[in-house]
This record gives sequence, structure tokens and C-alpha cells, in this order.
Amino acid sequence: MRLFDRAFTGSDEMFALAEAAVTKTIDKLGADAPVAFGSTAYFLPCIYAYTGRKITKLSELKDVLEPVKGWLTRNYRLNDVFTSGIATVLAAEIIEACKYAENPTPYEEKYHGHMTDAEVRELGVPLVTQDIPGFVVIIDEAPTDAQAQVLIKGYQSRGIFVFLLKGAIDQAERCGIKMGFPVRIVPVGPGIEAVSHIISVVVRAAFIFGNVQPGDWEGFNKYSFERIFAFVNAFGPLENITVGCGAGAIAMGFPVITNDTVDVDVVPKSLIIQTNIDDLIETSLEARDIKIKVSNIDLPVACASAFEGEIIRKADMFCEADGSRKDCFELVRTKELHEVEDHKIELIGQDFDAMEVGCKINLAIIIDIAGKNMQSDFEPVFERKIHNYVNCLEGVMHTGQRDLIRIRVSKSSFEAGFRVKHFGELLYAKMKNDFSQVVDKCQVTLVTEPELVTKLRKEANEIYDKRDARLRSLTDESVECFYTCTLCQSFSPSHVCIVTPERLGLCGAVSWLDAKSTNELQPSGPCQVVTKTKVIDEAKGAYEDVNEAVSTYSHGALDKVTLYSIMEDPMTSCGCFECICGIEPMSNGVIIVNREYAGSTPLGMTFAELASMTGGGVQTPGFMGHGRHFIASKKFMKAEGGIARIVWMPKALKDSVAERLNISAKELYGIDNFTDRIADESISEDPDTLMAYLSEKGHPALEMEPMM
Amino acid sequence: MDLNNFTTVEQMEAETARLRECAACSGAETWEDRKKAQTPSCKFGEDGVCCRICSMGPCRITPKAPRGICGADANAIAGRNYLRMIAGGTAAHSDHGREICHTLHSTKKDGHYQVKDEAKLLRLAKEWDIPTEGKDIYDIAHEVALAGMMEYGKPFGTQRFLNRATDERQKLWNDLGIAPRAIDREIATAMHMTHMGNTADAEALVMQGLRTGMADGWGGSMMGTEMTDILFGTPMPKDTEGDLGVLEKDMVNIIVHGHDPAMSEMIVVAAEDKDLLDYARSKGAKGINIAGLCCTANEVTMRHGVRMAGNFLQQENALLTGIVEMITVDVQCIFPSLGPLSECFHTKFITTSPIARIPGSTYVEFHPETAREQGRDLVRQAIDNFDKRDPAKICVPTRKQPARVGYSCEAILKELNGVTNSHVDERDTYKPLIDCIKAGVIRGAVAIVGCNNPKVRPDHSHIEIMKKLLANDIIVITTGCAAQAAAKAGLLRKEAKDLCGAGMKRVCELVGIPPILHMGSCVDISRMMLLATDIAKDWGIDIPQVPVVGCAPEWMSEKAVAIANYVVSTGIDTYLGIEPQVKGSVQMMELITEGTRKLTGAGYIINTNPDTLVQAMIDGIEAKRAALGI
Repeated sequence: MRLFDRAFTGSDEMFALAEAAVTKTIDKLGADAPVAFGSTAYFLPCIYAYTGRKITKLSELKDVLEPVKGWLTRNYRLNDVFTSGIATVLAAEIIEACKYAENPTPYEEKYHGHMTDAEVRELGVPLVTQDIPGFVVIIDEAPTDAQAQVLIKGYQSRGIFVFLLKGAIDQAERCGIKMGFPVRIVPVGPGIEAVSHIISVVVRAAFIFGNVQPGDWEGFNKYSFERIFAFVNAFGPLENITVGCGAGAIAMGFPVITNDTVDVDVVPKSLIIQTNIDDLIETSLEARDIKIKVSNIDLPVACASAFEGEIIRKADMFCEADGSRKDCFELVRTKELHEVEDHKIELIGQDFDAMEVGCKINLAIIIDIAGKNMQSDFEPVFERKIHNYVNCLEGVMHTGQRDLIRIRVSKSSFEAGFRVKHFGELLYAKMKNDFSQVVDKCQVTLVTEPELVTKLRKEANEIYDKRDARLRSLTDESVECFYTCTLCQSFSPSHVCIVTPERLGLCGAVSWLDAKSTNELQPSGPCQVVTKTKVIDEAKGAYEDVNEAVSTYSHGALDKVTLYSIMEDPMTSCGCFECICGIEPMSNGVIIVNREYAGSTPLGMTFAELASMTGGGVQTPGFMGHGRHFIASKKFMKAEGGIARIVWMPKALKDSVAERLNISAKELYGIDNFTDRIADESISEDPDTLMAYLSEKGHPALEMEPMM
Repeated sequence: MDLNNFTTVEQMEAETARLRECAACSGAETWEDRKKAQTPSCKFGEDGVCCRICSMGPCRITPKAPRGICGADANAIAGRNYLRMIAGGTAAHSDHGREICHTLHSTKKDGHYQVKDEAKLLRLAKEWDIPTEGKDIYDIAHEVALAGMMEYGKPFGTQRFLNRATDERQKLWNDLGIAPRAIDREIATAMHMTHMGNTADAEALVMQGLRTGMADGWGGSMMGTEMTDILFGTPMPKDTEGDLGVLEKDMVNIIVHGHDPAMSEMIVVAAEDKDLLDYARSKGAKGINIAGLCCTANEVTMRHGVRMAGNFLQQENALLTGIVEMITVDVQCIFPSLGPLSECFHTKFITTSPIARIPGSTYVEFHPETAREQGRDLVRQAIDNFDKRDPAKICVPTRKQPARVGYSCEAILKELNGVTNSHVDERDTYKPLIDCIKAGVIRGAVAIVGCNNPKVRPDHSHIEIMKKLLANDIIVITTGCAAQAAAKAGLLRKEAKDLCGAGMKRVCELVGIPPILHMGSCVDISRMMLLATDIAKDWGIDIPQVPVVGCAPEWMSEKAVAIANYVVSTGIDTYLGIEPQVKGSVQMMELITEGTRKLTGAGYIINTNPDTLVQAMIDGIEAKRAALGI
């Protein structure tokens, strides 16, 4: 028999049983006898939900048979299977109601039967917090008791609420599993009709939490499909009546996973055959898109933000991975779902035990992420988080990024049992928890084998290069929108960064792609879309939309920003900028100084002194905080003539931006080796020697219009 | 569900009426006027029994004159006319495919045309045993293009793409003698056979019709699709909009129309150039708006999300808005009426291909070496035309619908991967779809394709048939003008799931697709052949057994007849809402409906009433299911 026929046959069986039960009960108690489950305000909840009828006595129960029968239509369309499936559940509730009409406590001791409104309400908070990530209904016996035990305990340990029906209850009892509502393993009833008590919980959740109205058939199915993360594990051989109930479950959006292969038609994400019972949990969770948060990370040391600033000194160090000395890198890669084995932590090479105290090691941390909503643009965002996560470990220090990382592990952490795999455990748990919207599966590969790390680093570099190339290919003109970044508002409440492809956040940490990803990952988070359709002056970077956004997100502190100008409404700074540029009046140019530079500048001020002039979300024309990468941007103070205005930078900064700055200068002005014309502290620290140098080199700023 | 969110045929017709009313004062004439003037149609032509192949005639068959002067009877005349239509259609599609091969052959690393889908190029090179190891990608591209072009004229052997079919089909085609040889040869053979004094046996003409059609679907059209994907990228799902409301009052509107995307791709690229955008702004426009018509629209929407102004019978309406600065056309389905019509407005009408030279147009022949500059130049000319609009002749349509387009086979497989379970399922197969069909959740699939035809209410058959199929849990795939009809109606939106039965609705929700999948232009019906083939392979049955049928409710062109012939040869029943012009021959009618079915397992089912036609499809699908025991 094909699937539809099996469901139809099962529905008919259940309906016949319901008819017989009603007749028998009325014969015994009379048509006016009351019928109720007790402790619920929703009458017979399934019937109330799907028909809108308030059943209180047996005659009304008899009357409801007719509409239920009306749903047992028999066209070969899924719609008929769904209505029959729901009708099967209603028929099951009729049977159960008859039991309760005869005896208010038909299930003593072993079975739980009806669940009260109080119990349903108790589920509200844990469902919202995802302490209960889902529900499983287990029907009939697993092939062996041992498998049943592993299965039920496995669900329980993942926080999944377990309902047991029929043989599954006996099996759990044999295994000595403690059952009951408080331990979230509920032995509902010995017959399949008891399934109605579970659906009763679902529809009451829809009534209570979803405000779905009685009789709103579509509304109940939609609510359960979208919000109740339930699924069914039905062990074979499946009876038709179980298939009929399964049709109801699937109609409500609950997939059925079975080990039965006889006369079962597979339907993607709805009816799945899994004969390997060991893999049943993971198969089921994936079928219902349930992601389990990792609550206990297997770590021998503490992990908390308190340890974020912890410094590990050389004397306390057990070992060190230093990307500037030995090949090291960290990398997040997007993979297809089938390429990733969730929670696989693999170490290739030696563990800490085989290393000597104080040694320098090679280390590659490769995180593979798969997810239906994963995008490769998220990779760098996740990758930057490695720094925060690893730093939170007690006795572990992390600095840098990509292949310029430095990780130190302290002796005490090593002695506490910290090993390489613990990086994997930590990163796995954090990725799964913090990015659960996109991370369906995650695996971590840790490599300490020197030759392999060297080889892999080359591949990683290609990936980094590709990412950089993608970022470089984006221009402010080529994108549809910019983003705000208000990450710093916790300590600089009126500051708003407008992040564009050619102007990253002034902290240097948030590129346009990062902001875009952050927006997609946290739609109401710090990075909001800023449209750029209302152009005021594209050359200066003035847009009405940008001004509106700045006004909104600075809470009225600012009303406009000119993106490419430092003289006219320049962008504000929070205080965590990488660099400051300030006007140098004699040369008509600007100097730029980076945070790391401690000396003085031709303006007679240090970084700290200059920083005090800007920051705090205030506009100070002539001074501007910005990210290091912005220096080579063609949008750098474009309104005032662009990078040709740069007359002085500390040597270290100049060297680090030289390559890209020279390329931009060549493209913009046709000047070769532009940085040679820019002075630094080795050339001058005062305006006069600066001017002399600039004149000697023929610096273009000298020829430009005055800025003030 | 708010059904008001979908556009009805009545609303479309009201819009057309409004445009025509505005246009009346401009002296503009459209197909509705000419259709009146052409009614009634010539009965002999309609029945296919007018022979003007030689100059002894024309001969027309009547009960009193059952044979032409040479002795050809109704069967011979109708059969010859029919085969010539197929030859014409195959020539059109295949020449389009060849042109794309030439464009691929012109690609260079820094050239105007480049290889966008290297992976697909490498797959095709491998399929054709072209070595790739250590070779530059452009050398490979040129070799593949050349190998493709050789398929048109090779002296021996049959089409390379036939190897993609199921083993059963390949054997059947060989046994029946309908495996196509060189594409040009099949067209020439068809023309030769139908020359005065040659084949008069209707069955032989129909067989050559199948083979000529095969040279299209499994030759030239497939070539067009493959090479276009390599050149411009394999389509992946994209959001866009459809209907005349995509024309923007405040922008420079340029319409690209026709079938071959080589020219329109350049226009699309040029319209993104900053200096041209600035130039447009300097002329008071808010930007440059490219919109597509007919299959050029399908091509560029699938790859760039360019919006679709409409289908075949809407081409004149677009000009009636008075806000189209330029309509540039390439080949096929272009009304010569656009010449005089554009003269009623400020619209510049640009023809670009030596294949389609039309009076009243400015002819700018496109060449791969100069394509980018030519594209830029045309966009600039359109911008210059912006301020020449006549405010008195402006009638701006507002209706448009969101649409999700671009479901190539590759894209469909990717979507299906999304509903696999990594613990039990294989990926990159059609198994999830097959499982849904086997279980009955989806009853089957219908490919709705083809044109508009004033013989029936435009778009009405497309839309009504689609809706009825969806309500019956039948998934619809679509191309060409049918796809645009669906877009205009709003049926390519994901929300169209609300028009579906519970099965299709659930599938749409789980997979995240609209219930009608836009697969591209009319050459992309080759994608549908591969889809059906791979479904059959993954299922382990032959194509005629799969509950899949084709339907052309409003077809009109010779290309459609060629398509119908390769679809039938592939083993897929084809439901036609317009009668082929062979009615004057009982034998021909029998051959194209039941005759081919005995050979290829498929034939035509013809019914001009869309309600009856769609019911016949549903019954046909259920019959195929019953035969499979599902």
C-alpha cells in the first residue's frame, strides 16, 4: 500500500474506534454526562482548536463526529492526507475524552495522560530561552533496550523534551529511566490515541502564546509549523493507524523519522527513514532544523571575559605560537553541509605533552562551518571572534589575526590539563552558540605538524588575498548602501560611524563587509543599513540619507556628516581610532599619527594630545580619527583634494601603508613613489624643516588650494 | 492569503486598453488593429493545405480539387508545410546558438566578452574530450567554441549532446533514425525533402520533423544555453520584477528585446558605468533603467536581475507608454511594426543584427571586438533622447509584480540539496523531488512554454492553466513568454504558494522556492530536457514514464513547432492550446497526435479550450502515475 492509502486507512481505523467509544460511553453514562480532561480552560483542546466547539458533555462529543468525518476526504492530494491526519488526532482525542468521562483519572501511576494548562504554561519560558530546544514524540520500541536508553538519554541531555507512547514507555521502564513531567520525559499513554494529549499541548501553546483563535485551522498549523520544534521518532513496523497520526503530525509541521523501510514513502524533511538508530538523534534534529546550544564546554580551565586582558609573561609561558617566528594561522572556511561533521575536533601533529617548556610551536586553527544561511562573507567576521574567544581562556593569551597571530599558553593551564584540542572545544561551542542562526555544523582542525602548517598557510594566504581582493573591488559607488556602526556607543553614546567600502570604521576593525555581515547576523544590532539614494554631493560624500541616519543614531547629537571631508562636518570619533589626521597650516597639508607612535609631531603635539581634540562623538573640523586602511583610500579627504594633502606620518605607519598609498597616488595623480615625498619623524618634527623637505621633494600639497 | 496581490488578466487587459486609448491620439497602431484587419484568416493556410512551394500554383486542396497540379495531396502539402515550419524554427534557435559559439570564440582575458563560468566550461570540455590540463582557460574556451560550431556542419556522426540522454532514449533515437546529424544538414534535408517533386509521404515528413526538431533541442538550443552560461554565468535565483510598471518615469528607459543576450549584456554593463550615470543625471534623469522584452529579458533577468517589461504581445505596449528612450533589438519575435510605431514617439529603434533588419530602425551592427563601445554609445544616445519625450504622449503604467527567477538545473539541484538530510540522503540529485512525486505530495511536473498568440486571449491560457496545475499539486517550470506571463501575474513570487494545494505549498515552504520555476528563455527549454532526463536517470526509468508533460498554450512561432518536435522525441507529451496548421490532413493530424506516440512514447494533445486542456494534463499525469503504481 502506498503512503496516502496507509494514512487514509489509519484515519478510518481511528475514526471507527472513536465512533465506537462514543456509542459505548453514552450507553453507559447517558448523553448528558459531562466530559472534560480537567485543569484546562480549553475544553477538549484539539477539538476546540480545530473546530471551535466547546465540548462539555457526551452528546456534544457525539455531534463532533460528523465534522471530523467530513475531513476524511479521499482525493489523492496531500490536502486530503493533511485533513485526514488532523481528523485522526481529533478522533484520538474523542477516544481519550471518553476515558476521562468514565474516570477522571484513567491513567494512574505509570502513565501521565492529559497535561494541565499549568504544565503547558511551565514550558513557555524554557521554550523562549531555548532551554528546551524542541520536543520528540517516541512511538513504540526501539530495536534494543540499550538503543532506547541511549536515545532517550541523548535527547534529555540535549534538553529535548521527550514524550513516550506505547511500547516506548515499557522500554524506558525496563531501562530504569526516571520519567515524569519535571524531568522532561513524559510517559503519555499506552495506546496511540494518547497522542492527542501531546497535540493538546501544542494547540494550547498556540492558544496561550500565539493567540490563535479557536477554529482557525490554518492558524494552528502555521503556528506549529513555524514555532513548535517538535518531531516524531516512530519505530517500525509502523501500523496504519500510526501513519494516520503521522499525517496529522506532518500537517502541523512535525517531521516523522522512522526505522521502518517497508511500504514507507520518503518525503524530504517530512518522512525520513533512518535505520541506523545511533544516528537517529542527529538525523531528527537536522530534519526539524533544531540546533542545540552547547552549555557545557569540556575545558580544564576557566573561560570568562575576566581573563580577556590577562598577560602571559615569558617566564610563565608553557609554549607559544608566534606567527612572526613560525608558521601559524587561523582560518574560518565555509563548507557544504555534507563536508562537515558536527563537533569533530581533530588534532594533526603533536599535542602539548610532547613539547618542551618554553618552546615555539607551529599552530593552525581551521574552523569549517556549514549552514544553509552561511555566506563566505561571514568568514572574516567569525575569524575575528577567535581572538575574543581564546583570550577568555584562563592562562591563554591571543593577539593578532590571520597568519600574524600570537598565542601563549601558561604553565599553570598546561598543568591543569589544557591541551590543543581544547581550542577546538571552545571554538566549536562559541561558534555554535553565538552564531546559531547561520552555523548548522562546525568542525575544528588543529594542526601542529610543522610541514603541514607551512603548506596550509600558503593556502590560507590565498584565501586571505581573495578576501582582500573582494573588498578592494568594492567602491562606495558600486554598492547600494552603507552601514552604521554604533558598537562603541556603550562608552561614546553620541558617536556613529558610517562604514563604506572605501572607508572602514575608524577603529580599523569593521570593514563594510563586516558591517554587512553583522547586519545580517543581528538585524537589530549595531550595524544598520544606510541608503544612499538622496545625493547632496557625491564628490564630498554628502547624502541626505546619511545625515538622517547620523541624526537618528546619534540621538540628535549630530545632524550631518560629510563622508570625505575633514573640514566640513567631518565624521566624529568614539575615541578608539587607529589614527588621527590633523591639519598642518603652513604646508596646506595634513599630518597623520598612529596610536602606537609616542613621539611628537610637526604640530607640536603627540597622539594623545591630538586625540584629546577630537573623540567623544564631537565634530572638530580640521581633525579626524580614522582607521589605518583609510589612508590609502581614494576617498580619504577627497573633498579637500585627497591623499595629496598628506605631508607627514611616523615612519612605521608610512612604511605599513606605503604600498597601497603609492598605488592610489599613481592612479589619482600619476605620481610615482608618493610616500618618498611624505616626511616622517626622522626628517622633521617641526614645521620649518617639514616645509624645507616638502619644497625639496616638490610635494603636491604645496600647490593646492588653501584648506582654510 | 490576499489574492489581490496577484494581477489578473482583466487587470492586464485594462492596462493595455488604457495605453491604447492614450496612443490613439498619436496615430499609433498595434496588433489588435491589424488582427481585426486580418480576420478572417485564410482557411487554406490555417489548415495547411495551400501549397506555394513551386510556381505552378499556388494550389489549394478542396473536396473538388483533392490534389495539387503535381499530384500532391493534402497529406503531402500539410506535411511539407509543417516540416518547413520545423526547419525554420530549428534554423532560428540553432543560428542563435551558433552566434553565441562565435561570441565564446571571441573571448579574451581582457576582452569585451569573458568566460564567467569556468567550471561549466571545464565540464563541457571534459564531456567533449577536449584536453584541459595545463591549458589557459581562454584556449579551452576557443576549442570548445570551435567544437560546438563543428556540430553544425560535421560530415559524419550525430549530435554530441545526445550522449546526455538516457540509454533507452539514445537507443530509440538510433533505431528510429531520428538521431540528428549535423544541425545545418537536418535543416537542409528538411528543405530538400520538401522541395517540389520530393517527399510526398506524410510519415516520412513527420519523421524528418522529429529529427530536425532534435537538431534544435539536443543540438542548437542546447548549444545556445551551454555557451551562454559559460559566457555570462549559469543562472542562480535572483529577485526581480515584471510587467510594464518596471519602466521608470524619471529615468532613461532602454528596452532590450529579442533573444541573443550578447548585445544586451553590453548595454546592461554600460548602464552601470559611472560616467554614463553622471551623464544621465546631467540631463535631468535619475538614472538609467534597462528593461527587457521577450527572451532577451529572460536572459538578462536570470543573470543580472534586469527587470522584465513583458512578453511578445506587449512589445508595442512598451512603446505606447511614451517614456521609452530606446528599444534595441537583436533577433527573433520583433514586430516590424516597431518601425512606424517608434516614429509616433521619441523612441529610438535600434536593430543590431544582420538577421533582423527592419525598416524604420537605425541599424548598428554589433561586433564582439567593439561591443563595449557600441553598448556605451547606444546608452549615450538613449540619454540624449531623454529630454525629447513628448509630455502629451506619456502614459505611465504602474502595475508590476515581484518575481524570483533564474532556476537553471544547477540552481534547482542546489535548492533541493537544502531539503536533504545529511545523515541519510545523497546530494546533487533530483531524489528529493522524485521522492515527493512518488509519495504523491507533488503529482507531477508541467513545463509551460511558448509565446502569445492573438488567436486566444493573451496570457489568459498561460495563467489559468498554471493556477489550476498549482492547485492540483503539480509543479510548473516555465520559460519564454509563458514565464513572463507568470511574472506579470505575480506567480513567480514565493507567496504564490498560497495558490497551491497543500503538497506544493509545503514543498515551496520547505525548499524556499516559488511554485513556478523560471528556467529562462526559449532556447533554455534544452534545460528542461536535461532536467527530465536526469530525473529519469535518478529514478531509474525512461522519460515517457516520468509524470512530466509539456504545454504550449499560446504558441505561434516556427520555433515552437521545432520545440514541440524535440520534446515529443524526448518522450514528453506536449499539450497545445493552438492547433498546428495541418488540420486539412487527417493523416497528419493522426501522425502528430497518436502516430508519434507509438514511436517515441509521446505525442500532441491539442485543445484550444484552456480549461479542458489543463484537465487533460492532470489526467495525463495521473495516468502516468497509475502506470508506475504510485
